[in-house]
This record gives sequence, C-alpha cells and structure tokens, in this order.
Amino acid sequence: MSEIQYVGEHLWPGLLGQAFNILSFVTCLFAAWAFYQGFKNRDNEKGQSWEKLGVGSFWIHGLSIFSLVGIMFFIMIQQYYEYQYVQAHVSEDLPMKYIFSAFWEGQEGSFLLWMFWHIVLGIILIFKAGKWRAPVLFSLCLIQLFIGSMILGVYLPFGEDIRIGSSPMMLLRDIMAAPIFAQANYVELIKGTGLNPLLQNYWMTIHPPTLFLGFASTSIPFCFAMAGLMTKEHKAWLKPVLPWALFSGAILGTGILMGGAWAYEALSFGGYWAWDPVENMSLVPWLILIAGLHCNAIANSTGYSTKSTYLFYILTFCLIVYSTFLTRSGVLGETSVHAFTEMGLEYQLIAFIFFFLIWGIWLLAANWKSIPAPKKEESLASKEFWMFIGALVLLFSSVLITGSTSLPVFNKIRQLFDPLYEGLVIADPVPHYNKYQLWIGVFIGLLTGFSQYLRWREINFKNVKRKFTIQILGIAAVSAVVTFLLTYWIEARAWQYILLMFAGMFALVANLDYLIRVMRMKLPSLGPAFSHVGFGFLILGVLASGLNKRFISSNPLMQRDSIEDFNDEDYGKNILLFKGMPMFMNGYEVTYEKDTIEGFTRKFKINYKKLDEKTGDVKEEFTLSPNVLYTKNFDKIAASNPATHHYLKEDIFTHISNLPRADTDREYAQAQEDSLDYKKYEVLAGTQFETPEYNVLVGEVNRNPIHHDYESEPGDLALALPLIFESKKTGEKKEMEPLIVLRKDFLLTFPDEINDFNVKAKLPQQIIERYYSKENELDYSTFDVLKENSINYNGYKITFKTIESNPTDLNYKSEEGDLAIAAILELEDKAGTISEAKPIFFIRGNNSYSIKDFDEKFKLHTRFERVDPKTNSIKISVAQSITDESALPIEIAENVLRTDYIVLQAILFPGINLFWLGSIMIMIGMLISMFHRRRMA
Amino acid sequence: MKKLHIVGILVIAAAIGLLMSLSGEVATYSNFEDASQKSGVVKLAGLLLKDKPMVYDPAVDPNYFSFYIQDAKGVSKKVVLLMSKPQEFENSETVVLTGSMKGEEFVATDVLLKCPSKYKDEEIALRNTIES
Repeated sequence: MSEIQYVGEHLWPGLLGQAFNILSFVTCLFAAWAFYQGFKNRDNEKGQSWEKLGVGSFWIHGLSIFSLVGIMFFIMIQQYYEYQYVQAHVSEDLPMKYIFSAFWEGQEGSFLLWMFWHIVLGIILIFKAGKWRAPVLFSLCLIQLFIGSMILGVYLPFGEDIRIGSSPMMLLRDIMAAPIFAQANYVELIKGTGLNPLLQNYWMTIHPPTLFLGFASTSIPFCFAMAGLMTKEHKAWLKPVLPWALFSGAILGTGILMGGAWAYEALSFGGYWAWDPVENMSLVPWLILIAGLHCNAIANSTGYSTKSTYLFYILTFCLIVYSTFLTRSGVLGETSVHAFTEMGLEYQLIAFIFFFLIWGIWLLAANWKSIPAPKKEESLASKEFWMFIGALVLLFSSVLITGSTSLPVFNKIRQLFDPLYEGLVIADPVPHYNKYQLWIGVFIGLLTGFSQYLRWREINFKNVKRKFTIQILGIAAVSAVVTFLLTYWIEARAWQYILLMFAGMFALVANLDYLIRVMRMKLPSLGPAFSHVGFGFLILGVLASGLNKRFISSNPLMQRDSIEDFNDEDYGKNILLFKGMPMFMNGYEVTYEKDTIEGFTRKFKINYKKLDEKTGDVKEEFTLSPNVLYTKNFDKIAASNPATHHYLKEDIFTHISNLPRADTDREYAQAQEDSLDYKKYEVLAGTQFETPEYNVLVGEVNRNPIHHDYESEPGDLALALPLIFESKKTGEKKEMEPLIVLRKDFLLTFPDEINDFNVKAKLPQQIIERYYSKENELDYSTFDVLKENSINYNGYKITFKTIESNPTDLNYKSEEGDLAIAAILELEDKAGTISEAKPIFFIRGNNSYSIKDFDEKFKLHTRFERVDPKTNSIKISVAQSITDESALPIEIAENVLRTDYIVLQAILFPGINLFWLGSIMIMIGMLISMFHRRRMA
Repeated sequence: MKKLHIVGILVIAAAIGLLMSLSGEVATYSNFEDASQKSGVVKLAGLLLKDKPMVYDPAVDPNYFSFYIQDAKGVSKKVVLLMSKPQEFENSETVVLTGSMKGEEFVATDVLLKCPSKYKDEEIALRNTIES
C-alpha cells in the first residue's frame, strides 16, 4: 500500500510534545544519577557539584513536563482530533470549563497530573530539604522515571510491538486501523467523543487534582525513609519528614473524602462510601500513613518505633502504587465502577510496585540491626505503648481490607496456573467489610480516648494511677449517658452498634476534655486532639446516616402479591409520581410539579411538604430539582443527577431512577405511537359526540393555535380543534386541542393528550384538505386590475379597493428593511354577502414574496403577485378550493399509556453532617500539626 | 519476649484467622441449581435473554422488574429485580445478580451490568461520528 498524503493534520505539536516527553525522561534519568553521585560524595566538594547538576536537570525535567502538559492543552483546545487523546476526551460541544476534567479523564493525562505534582513537591524540596536534598530527590526521580515510562510510548529496538508506555501524543491513525484512514482528508470527517457526561461536573475538576496531590505527597515520606536508610542517619530524618507526612495525610484524606462527597452529591449511588475496590485501595494507604504518623511521633518523642516508621512509610507508597495497579490494569474488571480501561500497562505497573517494594524492604532489612531503639521495653502504662497498639490496629484493618479487595488479583494468579479456575467473589461486600471494620472503629475510638491521658516514657504509673482512673471513668460515664440518650435519635439495632457508638463518643468526650480542660487549647496537642475529636464525630455520623438511612420513597399501600416473604427493606425504594398529583409518603407530601428542558438536561421540579403527624399541617416546604442528562440524540439518558436538601440534622436526597420508556427511547416512542388504536370520528363544530368512555364537546376551529411543541413560521396554515372530554364515569371534564399545520407542502401533526383520561387525539390530513387545499392543487387564475375596478371569478365579484402600506397580519412577520404592501380586496358573492381579503406582497433583500389570503366563507384564495407602476394596476391570482360542507374528521385513541410520570427515589440521611464535620476536623487537625511541626523541625 | 511481640503475634494470628474465615463469605458465581439449594444470598451471573419478555411497569409497581437470564449451565429462568429498571439495561450482555431463589423465580435485590467493552463502544462511537 502506498503512503497516503494526509491533508489537514497538525503534526508539529505531536512531534514537539513527544520531544519534550523524551527529554523529560532522559533528564530525569540524569537527575537521578546526579543526585545519587551527590549523595555518594556528600562529604566532599564533588558532591555539591553533582547535586547542582541534579538540581539543574530536575528543573529541565520539570519544564519539559510542563511544556508537554501545555502542548496537550493546546491540541485539546484547538480540537485536533487527529490525536487519539483529543478525539477520546474532547468534543465540539464540550464547555471550556471542563477542559481540565477532559485532560485528566484518561490514563495518560492522570499520569501527567501525578508527575506534575511530584515536580511541584520536588521544587519545594530543592529549596527546603537542606542536607536531605540529594538522597530524597534521588528516590523521587526514580519514582518519576517509572511514572514517566507509562507515557513514554516508545518501541523497544528488539522484538516486535513491545511498547513502553502509551504516549498522549499518539495519532488516532497509529492506534486503530479503520477504513476512514484510507481517505486523505479524514481529519475533516472525524469528531470527538467528548467527556463522559457522568464526569461533567465540578467534582471532576477538583477531585482528581486533590487526590493526585495526595498520591504524590505520599512519595515524600517514602523518599525520606529511603534517604534515612541510605545515609544510615536513622534518627535525623524523623523530624523533617513529619510535616510532610502530616501534609500528605491531610491532602490524601481530603482527596478520598471528595470522592465520597462526589458520589453522594452528584451520582445516584445513594451514599458516600460503598466499599468499592478503588475506594478501599485509596483508603488503605491513608490508614497505613496514619499508622506511620503515629509511629513517627513516638519515635520523635521516645526513640521507640523507628523501624515501624520506616516500614509504614515504605508501605504507604507501595500501596499507592498497588492501588494504581488495581485501577489501571483492568484486573478489577466487573467488581468496580471506577476501573479505567486496560491499556497494556499491567507489566509496567507490576514492575513499578515490585521495584519499590523490594528495594524498600531490602534496604530496611539490611539496616535492621543498625536502627537504634531504647534498650528498655516500653512500659505498659505509657503513651507510646498504646499508640503503637493503635498503629497495629490500623495495620490490621488495612490487611483485612486489602485481602478482601485483592480477591480478583488472587483469582488472576490462580488462573495463570489453572486456566479453568472460576474465581471467587465476595457475595455481599458491604456487610462483609462493615462487620470487621466495626471492631477496628471500636478499638481506635477507645485507644484515641484513653491514650491521651497517658504520659510518654511512663516510669512511675503508680503516682498517677488514681488520677488517671478517675478521669477515664468520668469520661466513660459521661460518654455512656450521652450514648444512651443518643439511641433515642440513632436507632441502633444491635449491641455492636451501640458499642461502636460508645467508642466514638468516648473518643469525642475524652479528646474534647483533654483539649479544653487539660491542655487549654494549646499546641502541640491542639492538632492531634482536634483530629481525634473529629474521629469521634465521624463514627457518630457514619452510624447515624448508615443505620438510619431511610427510603422515604415507598408506598406502604402497594400490594405485592408475587413476593411475600421479603423483608421491607428490600423493596419500596422507588415511587411512581404522576405530574401534578401529590403523593403522600412517610410524613412528606411529594409533588412532581413540572419538567423543563435546557440543552441536553431535563430538569424536574419536585416539591416536598413536610406534614405534621397529627394535624396534617404543612410544617416545612422545599423544592428539589434533580435532573437527567440526555445523550446527543435525545434517545438515551447519559446521567441522572440527584438533588439534596440539606438540614443541619439530616439530608433529603432525591434522584430520578426511571422515566417512561417513551421519554428515553425514541424508537420505542414511535412504536408506541404506531400501536395506538385510533378511531375515526366525523364531527360538526359546536356539537357533542360520544366515544366508549367519554362525551366529547367539539369547539370552533382555531386558526391561531398555541401548542407546546409548535413554533409558528411565516406562511404556516395552522388548524386546531378544541375538544372538551367529559368522563362518563366521574363526570370530570378536561380540555385538549390537537393541531395540524400545513407548512409549504408538508403536513405537521401535533396530537394532544389528556394524561389523566388516557386519551390522545389527532387531526388527520383530510381535515386540512377540507379546510385549505394544498397550494399546488389549486388552479389559480390571474387578473390585472386597476384601483376601484372589479373582476369576476366563479361568480364572485372582486373589487380592488386600495393599497395598504406596512400591513400587519398573522402570517406575516415584518423584518427591518422589508418593503411590504397589502391589497385590500372586497369579495362579494351572488347573494350579495360581502367579505374582505388582504393578500400581502413584500420585498425582502433582492427577492419578492407574496403571502396569500384565504377567505373561509367563500373558500377563496387570493394572491398579490406584483404592482405595475406604469398603469397603476396590480396583478392578483384567485383560486377557490373545492370542499364539501360535511363534518370534520378527528381521530381519538383511548386507553393510552401515560407518559407524564417519573420514578423517584428519595432517601433520608440523618446526621450526615456529623460525618462531614468529623472528616474535615481530622484533616484540619493534621494541618495544624503540620504547621506546628514545621516550626519545630 | 517483649509485650509488643506478643501483641504482634496476636494481631497476625487474628488477621490470618479472619482472612481464613473469609471463605465463608466468598463464592464462585452461582447458577440456578446452586441457588435453589442454598438458603442465603448468592451472586448469580447469567446471560440476558433479550428475546424473552422484560416487564417493567412503574404504574403497577416501580420496584418490580422482571426478565429472563440463562446461567452458566444453560438453564433459563425468570428473574425478579426489586428495583427500578436500570438505565441501559437492554444494552448489557451479562448481568450479575445478588439475591436468592423463591420458588421458580430468582429474586434479586441488586444487579451489576456488564456492557460490551468500552473500546468496542468507542469504535462504534467513532464510526457514528464519521457517518453522521
């Protein structure tokens, strides 16, 4: 096949971008080497020069990545669809505000985001890390190399098709073979796929950058740990690393939390946490990091737990890489909603994990003996002992979560040896995780409570034993009382939940007491105590919103014959609402008021009235607007976005879980319309007739109708027939007005329906034929006529009375620059009846137009063709339509399925604000500690 | 031996014990025959039978959706899903259901849809954008 010379491609950004891509990789490699030499020669002058070289090439590496990112934004904004990444993530109708979201929607973009943050953090380290600069940046460069290799997109010189990474600068035609690429101008023909509509919201703009900053920040404690091991300065690294670890804890935590908030606020998951594998595997590194933080604090204060600090920081980073592997390798397959599509990076990701895991563990093992620890064992009543136990509990929790979440990985490994192996899944994941993690919560709650009152390196517990016991018992008593009172609000169905509630309350009370009474709001305990109070709130919030989450969208009266022995919780999650028909459910009167369409979004207005249980009075009222987003052709729903009403005490969460199929599936709607059984009736205006279920009163023909789907255009001939339906059963009356429009030679029918009555009516073609004849079937005769003169047509006397300038007429909409005149004609039949016609002639631009007049009485069509300025005569055309005087035909279908309903889900989340409050307090506490420790370091 | 070593050993033992007890909570995807023998909740995977009737009439019951699937052993049975009909249901090929057998029907409380792979979708999308 000969090479095709493609037209319209922009190849230079791709070449430039790829050049920066490779430059960034090479300079990173060199920076790693230089920093290693700098570390090796840290005692002599050579070391400093190496370090300078390292810093220089790290800057070039950083600038290359920034340039690559810049070029990617450029091609995305320019919509160069010849690039695969642009084609897959951008589309013409993508609003500019989502360009960032589109950037990190794909694998390559999110790897770049990760690298971007590493560079930012690296630059801070260049200025702030002091003597730790060379060894810390050496490890950071190694990490950066591995991530960089994911987007390198180069082929190895040996073997066929072994590609390292997938470059974001790849052309579409290099990635897929399609017949379209046989055309030289294919670029003009392709369009972008665009950003997944589910991701088109502001969460997608803020969640990924925060989470990836969290990911990137876990690298810094890892790099410090490796630096500590490489330099064998096992004590010195502990102080500078702590603020970084606290920063990482706060940011990663916030990132994870934002994911939960996104799921809760914008997706129809109906909760903030679902134990989804991807959620789990971002939580686990955070838990290990928190364990590491505590060990770090122990090591700083007492010298114990240095080894654990090393281990936890190494594990944190390796688990971040492992979670990346799970999300991006496709191994999770069907078990997660988050997984990216596979890109053939599995082996690179596995190498990434194992390199750092083996390197870290090996260095730690090699140094194990040389890491100092106090000779004497921790005292049983010391703070360090119980803090370490807490860290172990967190590790334990992580092991359990990781074990269960990794089931698909174990399955894959077994399938390598036994291809027939079927693979196991957790039957019911949510209760499975909750069951074990409940106990973790109990232990952590109690530990964070009482360990605050223990002292570092306690050697003489006897002296304080009495005071300690009194304090703890007092706190326990207060917590027990409050917990007991709380059970009136939070309905706990099992003793385990009450125990957890007590543990959370204990953590809260103990830390509040410690913070206010003992420490009097002073540093350094302010941060930790603040976080621990937050943990207490978090536990209470989880319990309140989780245990008492209540579906209010259930209809207790609904009969369910087929499935009797199912418990109440399993059904009744959705309710059917007809438009305008209030529905009573669980203390609320809910009405689907209306729906509006803006762009591709259909917004629903749902009114909630909270009723007083006894009197039935309206206590509160609010309106929620959930919406659905249609795909481009309006034939499917792409996303259903919930709406939530927030109270301090509880949230009411609402989303549309289903719509009539006719609203979501155009083909189905057509089929549905075709299958209706329309019956034809011949009726006279102003009379009444009967259908099987209704008495119908026919109104007068309306020639200037309004219909919700009809937009009038000049020249339209519209005809509507008002009908009043009276139910024979109930006597209730409802109106409708079906419409038919003749636009040039096309007929447009607009049926109308009364949803409550299940009837639909439309006007058939014949009605318009009887009323107006089609223009091309009319046999026009043309006359020249002078003012005040008459002509004869078919026995009618037509007199040209005068010319009216700037006429107004239903069928004529004037525009600026129009030159319009109307001929006023008098029509008279043999009997002497007189009528008036007003055909219009106008010049718009260089063209002339005429708008005819139709006289209903005489069925006369008159057209004003032109003016003859010489003779002052005008040319008119006249035709008469042949109609019979018989009845009007209409078609009516009964028993029509209703389409004016929604299926709604409404959930009450009590106390969910405690969850958010608690989580935010944890993060703020860590930030407070970070600033404090930074000053100390 | 230090106290912490004892605690450590206990923790490890408990972790192993709990992970072992996991076996009670995991299972391979079930089929209709298994499900009718078990009393508890199972996960059942099957092929959606698109030519059999799918019934969802919210006017009657918005939490009742029934359809037919064929399990791994080739047995076809009716499934009742106690939820509203998921979006894009018709487009999915395999479904994974959580629930149990009630008589001759499988009554499910949760469903996971497996749609044809994303890449295939992209190809189709590409083809559509080209054609349109």
